[in-house]
Amino acid sequence: MLSIKDLHAEVEGKSILNGLNLEIKPGEVHAIMGPNGSGKSTLASVLAGNEAFEVTDGSVDFEGEDLLEMGPDERSHAGLFLAFQYPIEIPGVSNINFLKTAINEKREALGQEPISAKEFLAMVKEKAALVELDNKLANRSVNEGFSGGEKKRNEIFQMAMLEPKLGILDETDSGLDIDALRIVANGVNQLRSPERSFVVVTHYQRLLDYIVPDFVHVLYNGKIVRTGGKELALELEEKGYDWIKKEEDQLA
Amino acid sequence: MMNQKDNKTPWADSLIASYAAKPESENLGELRFPTRKDEYWKYTRTNQIAKNSWSFQDAEISSDQVENAIDGIKNCVVFINGKFDAPHSIELPKGISVANTDAAVESFAAEKPFNPFRILNEALPQTCLDIAIENNTVLDEAINFVFIYHGKDSVANPFNRVKIGANSSVKWIERHIHIGEHATFGNVCTQIRLGENAYCGMDILQSGTGSSNHHEEIEVSVEKGARYVQNSFTLSGNWTRNNTQVSIVGENAEANLNGFYIPAQKELVDNHTIIDHQVAHCNSNELYRGVMLDQSTGVFNGKVFVRQDAQKTNAFQSNGNILMSDNATMNSKPELEIYADDVKCSHGSTTGQFDDEAMFYLMARGISKSTAQKMLVGAFAADVLELLVHEELHEEIENAIHKKLG
Repeated sequence: MLSIKDLHAEVEGKSILNGLNLEIKPGEVHAIMGPNGSGKSTLASVLAGNEAFEVTDGSVDFEGEDLLEMGPDERSHAGLFLAFQYPIEIPGVSNINFLKTAINEKREALGQEPISAKEFLAMVKEKAALVELDNKLANRSVNEGFSGGEKKRNEIFQMAMLEPKLGILDETDSGLDIDALRIVANGVNQLRSPERSFVVVTHYQRLLDYIVPDFVHVLYNGKIVRTGGKELALELEEKGYDWIKKEEDQLA
Repeated sequence: MMNQKDNKTPWADSLIASYAAKPESENLGELRFPTRKDEYWKYTRTNQIAKNSWSFQDAEISSDQVENAIDGIKNCVVFINGKFDAPHSIELPKGISVANTDAAVESFAAEKPFNPFRILNEALPQTCLDIAIENNTVLDEAINFVFIYHGKDSVANPFNRVKIGANSSVKWIERHIHIGEHATFGNVCTQIRLGENAYCGMDILQSGTGSSNHHEEIEVSVEKGARYVQNSFTLSGNWTRNNTQVSIVGENAEANLNGFYIPAQKELVDNHTIIDHQVAHCNSNELYRGVMLDQSTGVFNGKVFVRQDAQKTNAFQSNGNILMSDNATMNSKPELEIYADDVKCSHGSTTGQFDDEAMFYLMARGISKSTAQKMLVGAFAADVLELLVHEELHEEIENAIHKKLG
């Protein structure tokens, strides 16, 4: 589904990703872990098409298409979804209008009819329930005045509405208390399917207790330096990242 | 020093010659148009007006063109190049009269006008729209006063005089529409007097062309307990200057001035406001927002006087701007002069770039760049649109904004 080869990216002239490789097949959940500044969030932003990051080398193939040639909106239409680490507040744009516009622009791009009001409302009701999102929040301005937990739940709600093929969760666990974490993880788990894949970017093993990954990758200095199963996350939780850093720094 | 020679306006002499009743003493041939050395005109050139040869044009305008301009607008009272156009107008409600005048009309203002726009307007108005509402009267059906400007080098000087009696309430929509490819010059002057506990609500829509010039001067006096609301939307036009001056002369009165502007290409929009709090216990609110596209220029200057006697004044002013291009310019200057000590006054001015993070967020959800821009600009304009006296204009203005964004 997603094939990243030798990806290099920089921001403001500083190189962050230095030859990253990653293969993701349908239905798989990949966790990306790593110390601060290793490039985890940059990877998520680059995949979603944030122009603040410049790809200097490498390729990304998504469902047979060159992902790097697409704008952020086209990537969304193709089935990619980024749950933001820091969801943006947009005063004056209602959550509902925003989602309806998003769904209809995708449908238009795919040559489909716009969603009917009835169908849309039924979908909002169903998907909001997935993450126990208050209906009132759906009618407010996008993320405006939302608590940290509400913002993250809103991200998963949007993901559920847009039904992507690949969901990228950028530190969705940060700033969540244990109850909110459980709700968010539960929402994600309900969206898991044999066709839908996830990239879960996180600092901590905790989230992976709830969203159990098929693979765990450790990112350091903009490269994947270790890959294992879910037990790798437990090992990192116990031993920290220092041993990996040391080994890698020695190799270098 | 200003070069007098540069500011000669020989065209004004021939204007007078074509005007039926000669104004007595005005020496219009020496109209002194301001230069950028004049503080109040620092960012706005008047050259193209001072140097052009304006004349009164009676060039025929086809009924189709008029109907096109007023398409979908109800309850129209139409003026073409400053002259009342009865065929396209409704029967005037009681209290509203229109005179095509060839004689200087009596101004409410005691002092002699000092700026060339007003001198020109007061000396050579083609129409006097008189709105004289008796006490205890409510006019709640929205009237559209539609001013159409057209024809080569055509100048129009509509003069509007409004007197609203005590406890009366009036609202209207003013539309200024410049059409055609020729240079036009709309020079409007409106004087409004609100009696005690009266209400006046006005939405102004200005749309112009690539060679239109529009100067609008509104002078208001607000008596005790009265409330004045003015919203101006400058949607297009090569050169637009709005001067609004409100004097609050009675206690417990309120003045609200709001505006939204979205110039593109080389358009200029300049809003100058003065609110003069002369007495105690009054409120004023100003919210102006602008979105500058391409190489356009925006100017906002908001002056608030709080006189020594105007204790317990609440005066709030806010001007927010978004520059959508590296070549766009905004000049914003709030000016508060406060001589009373027990008042609440605040002003804020922000000018920034478009929010790239918000754009990316919307696009990451599958929304195209152009739709995302429309949503964000719409949200920015919404705070002003919510203040519309005539809510039904909301969609029309929003559509015009979207059209401008392409």
